[in-house]
Amino acid sequence: MEIKSLAVETVIASLCYVLAFFLTFEALMPVQNRFFPDFYSSASLLFLPHGVRVLTAWLLGWRSIIALLPGVFFTYYYLAGEKVFMASRLMGISIAVLTAPIVFYLLAKVLRDLHPAAHRTPCWPCVMGAGVIAAVAGGILTNLAFGSPVLDYFAFFIGDVAGLFFLMLFLMLLFRYGRRAGIR
Amino acid sequence: MQEISKLAELRKLLLGMERALGLEDLSAVERDIYYAASELSTEAPGVRTTGLLSHALLEDVSRPTFFRALKSLVGKGYLSQSNASRRGVYVVNTPRG
Repeated sequence: MEIKSLAVETVIASLCYVLAFFLTFEALMPVQNRFFPDFYSSASLLFLPHGVRVLTAWLLGWRSIIALLPGVFFTYYYLAGEKVFMASRLMGISIAVLTAPIVFYLLAKVLRDLHPAAHRTPCWPCVMGAGVIAAVAGGILTNLAFGSPVLDYFAFFIGDVAGLFFLMLFLMLLFRYGRRAGIR
Repeated sequence: MQEISKLAELRKLLLGMERALGLEDLSAVERDIYYAASELSTEAPGVRTTGLLSHALLEDVSRPTFFRALKSLVGKGYLSQSNASRRGVYVVNTPRG
């Protein structure tokens, strides 16, 4: 693996993560708060960064850990400032970058290798399925690390799964538009 | 895997989603030819018919079905005949939609 290639992957994946984060918290959350002002949790119900984590892990495998780390760290730093170095937040960062590649690895060992490869048709429901498993595992571990109330688990789960689905839907429509507009 | 082929892989994944949602305008064989051509085009710009025919995704497709689907893909703008080469070489390009 060339260093340059790893650097390019890292820049692209981390930028996508940060972009998805700001889209979620600066654009979607205000809408959510407007429509659900009494919602019990501060969690996003459309957490797009989970989609970036899953698709990056699907494309890059273990390399997604390095590729996403700067982006995930930045978002935690943006939210927590100097407290980013607290044990719970470092745990949160680790869980965010590790869960999806571990899920893809375990699925490959137990059921089927979902990573892109020559002569293999990509299976989007399988990637969604892996994303759901990663959402459950990541949600439980993150909430344990932060000591969140049980109801937050459900909010995180809904946000992660909806975030993955709508990110894929958005990208699908973007590629479709690109094809029709003649953009290679 | 090259950066461009990662984008191609993502595009293939989402083409499957497009198809499942009933938005894609390709048949199963056309899609498989397009997948195979996208894959082969990462190795060389022009994709040969012989290369496509021997691709694992297309080994169960009969020749008449293959050539019908190939013609349809050219018609829809997903593939085009290579200008720089002789017949039987195609370039993966942007469909007209």
